[in-house]
Parts: sequence; C-alpha cells; structure tokens
Amino acid sequence: MSAGASARQVPRLLFYGRLVAAQLEMSTLTALQYRLGFWTEGLLGLLWSVIGIAPLFVAVDHLGAVEGWGRWKLVVLTGCFTILSGLFTALLQPALRESMTHILKGTLDYVLLRPADGLVLCLTCAFHPWHLVEVLGGLVLVIAGLWLGEVEVTATGLLAGLATGAAGLMALYAFGVLVLCASFRALQLQALTHVMEALMDFGRWPAQVFPPALRLLFTFVIPLLVMTSYPAEALLGRLSWGTVAELAAVSATLLVLARLAWVRSVRGYTSASS
Amino acid sequence: MSERAGQLGRVIAAVWRISLAEAIAYRVSMLMWVLTTTFPLVSLALWSGLAAGGPIGDYARPDFVAYFVAAFLLRQFTASWVVWELSGQIRDGGLNTLLMRPMSPMLYHAIQNLAALPIRCALALPIGVVVLVLAGGLVWPSPGSLALLGLSLALAWLLNLAVHVAIGCLAFWVTESTALFEVWLGLYLVLSGASVPTSLYPAGLAEVVRALPFHASLGFPVELAIGRATGAAATHGLLLQALWVAAFGSLAAVLWRRGVRAYEGVGT
Repeated sequence: MSAGASARQVPRLLFYGRLVAAQLEMSTLTALQYRLGFWTEGLLGLLWSVIGIAPLFVAVDHLGAVEGWGRWKLVVLTGCFTILSGLFTALLQPALRESMTHILKGTLDYVLLRPADGLVLCLTCAFHPWHLVEVLGGLVLVIAGLWLGEVEVTATGLLAGLATGAAGLMALYAFGVLVLCASFRALQLQALTHVMEALMDFGRWPAQVFPPALRLLFTFVIPLLVMTSYPAEALLGRLSWGTVAELAAVSATLLVLARLAWVRSVRGYTSASS
Repeated sequence: MSERAGQLGRVIAAVWRISLAEAIAYRVSMLMWVLTTTFPLVSLALWSGLAAGGPIGDYARPDFVAYFVAAFLLRQFTASWVVWELSGQIRDGGLNTLLMRPMSPMLYHAIQNLAALPIRCALALPIGVVVLVLAGGLVWPSPGSLALLGLSLALAWLLNLAVHVAIGCLAFWVTESTALFEVWLGLYLVLSGASVPTSLYPAGLAEVVRALPFHASLGFPVELAIGRATGAAATHGLLLQALWVAAFGSLAAVLWRRGVRAYEGVGT
C-alpha cells in the first residue's frame, strides 16, 4: 500500500511543481506589461521598507538602545522585515486579492473545476515579481547589519534563523488562507489584505517592546513576530532551540487549521455566477 | 439661479442617501477599513511601553496615550479612498456613467466620502473610548480650540481628498497610478505622525518633516486636539494647511480638467 502510494505521489508532486511554475510564469508575463509598476512598486517599495525604520531610529536616538537592540541589530531586524514583506507583497497578497475577486464575482467555479487542488491554484493565481527586489534589498540589509554590528553568526544561529524564517513564512500563508476563507462569508473583504499589510508593519519592532498581551497576540494568533523578530534574534544567536521548536509548532498548527477551514469553506461555497 | 441651486441640492441629497445606504450595506468592509486605521493604537502600546522608564523627548507616558488616541480618531474624520475608485473608473470606463450625471464626478466622490463619515465614527468612537478608559483620561480641549480643531479637520479632509483626486487622475495617462499612491501612503505613515510624533525627530529634520503636507494632514490636527499647538503655532499650522490645500487642490483641478479632455472612455 505504502509503496504504491508513494510511487503515485512522486508524479503528483512533479505535477504540482510544474503547475506552480507555469502559473508563476504566466503571471510574470502579465506583470511585465506594467513596466511603470516595476519602478514604482519594486524600487520604491524597497525605499519605503527602509524609510519605515524611522520611528525605531527615533526611539534609539532618545533611548540609546531599545530593549537591548542597538542600531545595527535593528538594521538586521529591518532586513528580516523587508524580506518578509517583500515575499508577502510579491506572492501572497496578489494571489489573495485575485482569489477574493473570484469569490466575489463567482468565477471561482472555473478555478475549482480544474483538475488540481483548488487551494494551490488560488495561492498561485497572481504574482508581482517586481516586489522580489525588496527581498534582495532585505538580504543586503541583514548582511550589512551583521557586518557593521560585528556580530559573529554561528552555523547553528544561521540554521535556527532559517528554520524560524521558514516557520514564519508558513504562518503567513496559513493566516492568508484563513483570511481567504473569511471572504467566503463576508464579501468585499479585499480590505482585509490591507489590514494584514498595515499590521505587518509592527513586525519592524523587536518582540520585547510589545506589552505581554500584544506579544501573545502577535506570536500565536497573528504570527507577526514569528516572521520577523524571532528570525533576527536567531541570527544574532539569542534564541534557544526550544523556542524554535515552539514557533514551528505554532506554524504547523496554523497550517492545519487553515487547510481545514479551506475544505469547510469550499464545501459551503455556492456559486454566485450566472 | 435659485432653481438650479435647489436642483443641485436635491441631487446632492440623493447621492448622500445612496452613499449612506451603501456604507451601511457593506458595514463589515467598513469595519475592516476602520481596523486598518487602528494602527496608531498599536503604536500607542509600543511608545507607552518605551516611555515607561521616563519621558521620551517632551512626551511622557500619558502624553503618548492622548496623542495616539487622538490620531486614531482624527484619522477617521479625514479618511478618503477616492484614489482607488477614481483610478478604477478611469481604467474600466465606469467614469462614463458619472460624466453623464447632472453633477460633477468630483462632487459625487466628495459627497460619497462625507456620507461614510457617520458610520466610520460610530464604529471608531467606541474603540477610542475603550482605550481611553483602559489607559487613562484625555483632557478635552476648550471651546475656542474646538472651533480651531474643526477648521483644521476640514482642511485636513480637503487636503486628503485633493491628494487622492490628483493621484487618481494620473490614471488618465498611466495605468498603475495606485502604485504611486502606495508610495504616498508609505511616506504618510512615517512622516504624518501616525507612527511617531513628528516633534520627536532629531532637531533640524523635525522642522523639515513638520513643513510637509503629511504633517498638515494628520500630525497638526492631532497636536491641536491635545493642546500642544497654541497661539502662534496654531495660526502657523493652519496657514500651512491652507497653503497645502491650495497647492494640491489646484493640482487636482488642473489634472482633472486635462484628464477629462484626454479621456477616451474605454470599456462600456
């Protein structure tokens, strides 16, 4: 049974790999039609991610350091934030908006009818490649911050950083799917992606600054800090493996919840098209 | 003349009623928009946490509470979303219908904006009150400064509207004008005082930031509301607001006029 199942699963995985690649290629071609968008959204998005550090620097200016985070450590944190917000605006946000429009207009039928998993199709149906510039910029910031702050990054620190970063990305996707499921019930929820975007901005701040209640909220319910603050701490070698495991568990739970919510929502979906 | 004015009045009233009904119909969506603007409240938590050890600049902990709650409430009064509607209508031809109506599309958008204000405030006021109860009271401004605050709010609303229309009108020539607006929004969040009071910026930089339109559209009315801008500073701020309204208002008017002339009415 298991041998047969795994033999069937390999071509299935390949199929999904090809499917995602094809979807991304298509949306890249569409996106390249808007060249002005590249300059304004990509490069200025990067600029904005860097300008957004201003409130933090105002705080450092007055206080010397914010809860043990000096200037260069904050640059590392900003880098982590920029990478994540770049991934969000490049991959997740456009797909969510497009899928919500599908739900609103009733054209989700055509997506669901295709011979592949509906959720995979929904999450790859749009892509804004120019925002990947922000991801590159974020990487530069992280490296520059570590370099200028003279932080020695150990192999385990790097590994922990990557693991928490991956957990953060998974949590972000899970949260996005939950938002998508909510839009089956209440229409006109495109605004929710703006709420997400506005909320993500608080990922710029170190976890220690938040009051306990908000810290719990932003770790377990809206896992902002898992995405930005914790990976930066891991890179700086200040995070224990226990915490890393906890964060991974949070992300995994959210993913399972999101998948269940999706299955339920699609079952309850009554087409709205004519 | 008076007949025409009466007719315009009836048209305006009709649009108001429709917009209000729309706002009520999509109240969940409206609540979401209100939620996006709760952002100053999280900033409040952050800054009052940082100020626990002592005042930051000239802001002690209660000052931060007053500042950010005021920022949250005043943002509801001055909010606008014309840029999304306008650029969409220009792109898909929805503007055609508006142009056929017996009133300027600009007036239509302005009334639509105003009509949503009561709902927005009804949704936002309880949140503001709860935060005030949890975090400590707010000193109410005197009646004289309330009048000034009203004036300043009206100017801030006009300024926001003018910026939205000006950027939205760019859609007559470029397809992705909303991308430019995102840039504006990014600068707004940092420079308007929504995430940090602008007076806390380092000396030299603060003066520059406070002269920009971002501060005029949020930071200044907030400082007026919490009694930080009085006397000459208040007059100065109001003048600066009026100046920015005039600048962006005329820019919007020019762009709109030229745009309509260039408009080809694609779509329907």
